[in-house]
Amino acid sequence: MRNQLVKSAAIVAGALLLAACGTNKTETEGGGGGAAACDTSKGTLVVGVVAPLSGALSALGLGIENSASLAVDQANEACKVKGYKLALQAEDDQANPQVGAQAATKLSSDANVVGVIGTLNSSVAQNVQPVLADKDIVQISPANTNPTLTKGEKFLDAPERQFDTYFRVCATDDVQGPFAAKYLVEKAGKKKVAIITDGKTYGDGLAAEFKKQLETLGGTVVAQEKVGEKDTDFSGVIAKVTPSAPEVVYYGGEYPAAGPLSKQMKDAGLNIPVFGGDGIFDAKFIELGGKEGDLATSVGAPTETLDSAKAFIDAYAKKGYSEEYSAYGAFSYDATNALIGALATTLGDSGTWGEDQRMKLLENVGKYSAAGATGDVAFDEYGDSTNKLLTVYQVTGGKWDPAETGTFEK
Amino acid sequence: MTTLFQQIANGIVLGAVIGLIALGYTMVYGIIQLINFAHGEVFMVGAYGGLATYTYILPEQFRDDWQIALPAVLVGGIVISVITAVIMERFAYRPLRGGPRLAPLITALGVSVALQEAVRLFYPGATATLAFPPLFVDGDLRIPVPGGGGDVVITWIKLLLVIVAVLLAVGLQMYVSRSRMGRAMRATAQDADTAKLMGVNPDRVIVLTFILGAALAGVGGVMYGAYQNTINIDMGFQNGIFAFTAAVLGGIGSLRGAVIGAFCIGLIKTLGGQYLPGGNQYDYVWIFVVLILVLVFRPEGLFGEPEKVRA
Amino acid sequence: MSRVTSWMRPVHALAFRVVGAVLVLIGTLMAWATFVYNNGAYPAKATLQYFDAPFALNSFRLHLAILGIAALAVALAPVPGRNRILRGLGWGVIAIAAVHMAFMTYEGGGLGAIAGGTAFGSWSTLVGGILIVLAAHGGGLEGPVHLPTKMPFYVAWLVLLVSFAGLLMLVSRTLTAGGQGGVANPYSGPLFLSFVGYAGGLLAALHGAGLLPWISRLSEGHRAFSIVVLLGCALALPFTDAGTEYWMTVAANIGVYAATAIGLNVVVGLTGLLDLGYVAFLGIGAFVAANLSGAAAARFDIELPFIVAALIAAVVAGIFGAIVGSPTLRVRGDYLAIVTLAFGEIFVRSAQNDIGGLTNGSNAIPGLPPISLFGKGFNESITIGGAKLPSGVLYYFLIVLLVAVVMAVFANLKNSRIGRAWVAIREDEDVARAMGIRTGQAKILAFMVGATLAGLAGAVFAHKLSTVSYESFKFLESVTLLAAVILGGMASIPGAVLGASLLFVLPEKLREFSEYRLLMFGLALVLIMRFRPQGLVPDKHRRAELVGEDPEGKPLDESDVGQAHLPDVGPTTGPTTREAT
Repeated sequence: MRNQLVKSAAIVAGALLLAACGTNKTETEGGGGGAAACDTSKGTLVVGVVAPLSGALSALGLGIENSASLAVDQANEACKVKGYKLALQAEDDQANPQVGAQAATKLSSDANVVGVIGTLNSSVAQNVQPVLADKDIVQISPANTNPTLTKGEKFLDAPERQFDTYFRVCATDDVQGPFAAKYLVEKAGKKKVAIITDGKTYGDGLAAEFKKQLETLGGTVVAQEKVGEKDTDFSGVIAKVTPSAPEVVYYGGEYPAAGPLSKQMKDAGLNIPVFGGDGIFDAKFIELGGKEGDLATSVGAPTETLDSAKAFIDAYAKKGYSEEYSAYGAFSYDATNALIGALATTLGDSGTWGEDQRMKLLENVGKYSAAGATGDVAFDEYGDSTNKLLTVYQVTGGKWDPAETGTFEK
Repeated sequence: MTTLFQQIANGIVLGAVIGLIALGYTMVYGIIQLINFAHGEVFMVGAYGGLATYTYILPEQFRDDWQIALPAVLVGGIVISVITAVIMERFAYRPLRGGPRLAPLITALGVSVALQEAVRLFYPGATATLAFPPLFVDGDLRIPVPGGGGDVVITWIKLLLVIVAVLLAVGLQMYVSRSRMGRAMRATAQDADTAKLMGVNPDRVIVLTFILGAALAGVGGVMYGAYQNTINIDMGFQNGIFAFTAAVLGGIGSLRGAVIGAFCIGLIKTLGGQYLPGGNQYDYVWIFVVLILVLVFRPEGLFGEPEKVRA
Repeated sequence: MSRVTSWMRPVHALAFRVVGAVLVLIGTLMAWATFVYNNGAYPAKATLQYFDAPFALNSFRLHLAILGIAALAVALAPVPGRNRILRGLGWGVIAIAAVHMAFMTYEGGGLGAIAGGTAFGSWSTLVGGILIVLAAHGGGLEGPVHLPTKMPFYVAWLVLLVSFAGLLMLVSRTLTAGGQGGVANPYSGPLFLSFVGYAGGLLAALHGAGLLPWISRLSEGHRAFSIVVLLGCALALPFTDAGTEYWMTVAANIGVYAATAIGLNVVVGLTGLLDLGYVAFLGIGAFVAANLSGAAAARFDIELPFIVAALIAAVVAGIFGAIVGSPTLRVRGDYLAIVTLAFGEIFVRSAQNDIGGLTNGSNAIPGLPPISLFGKGFNESITIGGAKLPSGVLYYFLIVLLVAVVMAVFANLKNSRIGRAWVAIREDEDVARAMGIRTGQAKILAFMVGATLAGLAGAVFAHKLSTVSYESFKFLESVTLLAAVILGGMASIPGAVLGASLLFVLPEKLREFSEYRLLMFGLALVLIMRFRPQGLVPDKHRRAELVGEDPEGKPLDESDVGQAHLPDVGPTTGPTTREAT
């Protein structure tokens, strides 16, 4: 009986062998040497990305990753960094500060990492900054808007640069919040606001800036509540806020909570607009419950209106990514290009990368100035972007429509 | 005054959902003394099953027609959750029956994690929150409250949820107390060996228990998604704990207790969030405090009989 | 030596053995993949395109060559326990071949990736391995080989030294196998798995030759020496290949979780109290240390030296342990699990809402300064006698010390009066109380001890991670810790360490599968409870709760009821009581 088993096993093995021969693949495009004429003899350098690639905010995070990847691919094709091939290594931070810190640790222990594009959430950035700064690794964020990240706790009266390695290409909440307040009071004519935040660095910070300006302009905050970032049932907080009869709810937080909040407010009879920041500015907000008349501010001018962005939009579409570039795609593209451009300057025509080059790279990033998809890209002495454009959007006909673009002057 | 009544209404709605899940917990524990940690995930799977039915199976033209969409989605959700529960019972719990109590408990934990992850990985887009269709008429019921402060607003879907939950609970109670199979279930819960001697097939009774519990959880999942308009993979765990608390509060093994316990829990959450210190951020904490107090001081709950809890 | 019935004629078995070994060796010399993949040529020059002379064997082909030569040698020479050795070697070969074949097929998009031209290496090795295993089973597996243990102590010490040094090298090689996963290294997953197969095969062969049980018996005979050597090996890890910053971090994390798992073992393993909220104590320790560390977001503006902060953290956690323990006195079994779960959830929710300003809620407490001793920060690199050690090595040493201390505490407690009281409570609480044990006190003490150990580990954890967030202490982490304890083997110290290692090293190495990590984890829990509830390294004395066996491994039988069978595990547990209730 056992002999039969052995014999049949041998027959099966033989049959498999024959079958395998039949499915011989024609040779696919060979190995890693796809980029035709570039000299990549010195090896591969890594551009890191830390963003939420999974979880509720993945729509934004994947847009960041894809745009960075686009920039890296274009740089490889144009042989921007002489002697090296660039590769993208994206680490998922799940919008969680702890995971973000671990992702940063992982990237920072690799000597081939030249810089990191990230993060999305300000709270994650607070945990990532010290890790990367320890190793003098450049960090350029496409989406952090909290001002304390560059200027410290006393950012209004006594700003102090926190980390020399940290830069960002987007505007900050100390202009975004007041910009929103100004629009609300002067253009929309609403003065009684209920503020709801999710308790995170970004939401609380933005709401605080908004509140200051609102009260200066004569508005009043009739109620202020907090919810958890993962909450889905807001009936309790809505019932708490309704008696104070607000005209608008200003939400400091992101779209996974803001969308359902908006819908549940309407269901509960509190049919007033929700006004938020760049955290709710995504198509998913409308999908998850955002209603007509809801408002949001976001950094930069609308991507589609900028000439400089057209090339980016076309190139992104051509690559066929399964996700949209969403709110921060153009910023991520610009950030990556800034990093790559500074790297090219640092290494020159024949330089070799080593950890000693990191300080030089930092300097060159600080001095970087070029035109990008979001406008002119340059950094000030705190690492903030010199581009302080903001836009107010409104949900009209099921989509976000730009209502006003401008900057906030004190 | 309006706020009080509004929060009471909210609490009752939440209690209805919790009750549908709690019934499953209490039935399974009554029969095989197992805390089925994975039952919350069955609730979640039911919601995703319903969403899948809506998105992939229901033809476009019927989507807005709630008379067709709602029953279809409910059926879809029930089918998926029942299948999940049956597979769970057959492959994870049945082999461990009769053994020491630690093993099925840990297995239940493992199944719960595996189910969550399976949905997250294999349902398209499930890593983020997904939108769930409303499935019912828009609009709400407004009850004016004397004394000013506005009306109490209850959307129709929430009202439907409460009615459906109560009807199902009553139906289940009648089934268990009147039908032959129900009698078999009660017999097995009381004394499995004697029931076996009397000709009851314990395997079939247990599978039926799981099926009934899962069906209720599936309905709960779909309706929860419908009134919240979003679902995510975390919804099972939290609501599962609340449901277990409700079952314990009402007296584990008692159907009536599970429902009453569930409404109590719903009210504790909403009223506690409104009036107790810490606000709505700590509403969950009050529920856990209740759980601990009940388990320590009156483990038999409101309607159960005091029994020696087996170690 | 008894022989299990052999179903192959000796001459057939010999033929299978030799042919199998030869096929394996042929396979190592042939090419494996038929074309170059998009991610780059398959490592170890296994690709057809790169098949040019002269070529050297390295990586997995070298491993296969070693296994093949060993199999050939053993096939021809009459070695005691031959078939067992062959079985181990054969399975090692099959594992390596299978991993690579599966991966190459997946990467290449079809079976044609591994069959064509002269690229039949994978098939040759696979068939060779199967033949070897068949020969081993067909020839009849012998009984276990017993090697003598009576020898002068210096010989025993030498043997132990060599074997533990070998273990150190094995661990170091396993950790570094495949290299660090990343964009620049797409094949690290399968290389790591194949190395595990190779190591497993070698270990199985050594076990079959009787060497491993022999070493284990020797080490038990010379306990103190073994412990010293093991400690020395653990401390020597940074000097080996695995001495990179990356691995120091991973090893440090494993150490922290291992220490916590041992603490959990006190509560769950020794005393039998299922605690589902245990990670909250780790969290309490971490937050206390964070707040006393002088970080910007800390509640208190003081910066205490680490030792003081760690002790305070441990004490505070211990107090909470007693608090959690007290209501559980009236509650047992499943309900106890739920109560502890509720406490754990209260902790998570309170931490999320920044209770008392102590946890900073969703924003976490970043920027914890690294521990520093004598002015040297622990995250810096140090040089000992000319050898430059990677940064973070001091954390590693500290954590090895921590784990050693925790292990010592555990071992001492286990053999003490209170430890025996705990075991008695685990086996049957009512009987224990009837015997005069103060069960209430003992249970609270168990919680306290477990919580204190976790608090201590939490303090180290906080500084190592330099960020403390409530997200690290959610329910899933409690389940993971419980799984580590159970997977490793309850109430067994090496088991807890092994469990923690597996659960934290595997995700690092198998980065390609990181998506599926939790799914695998859940399924693993189910499978373990079904098929091996006593865990990988079961504690000999610890059976009754999970498997109806006595410490010698024989199943308890109903006919044993009433017989004074064994001193410490009586027949009152197991299936018999189940029916009687």
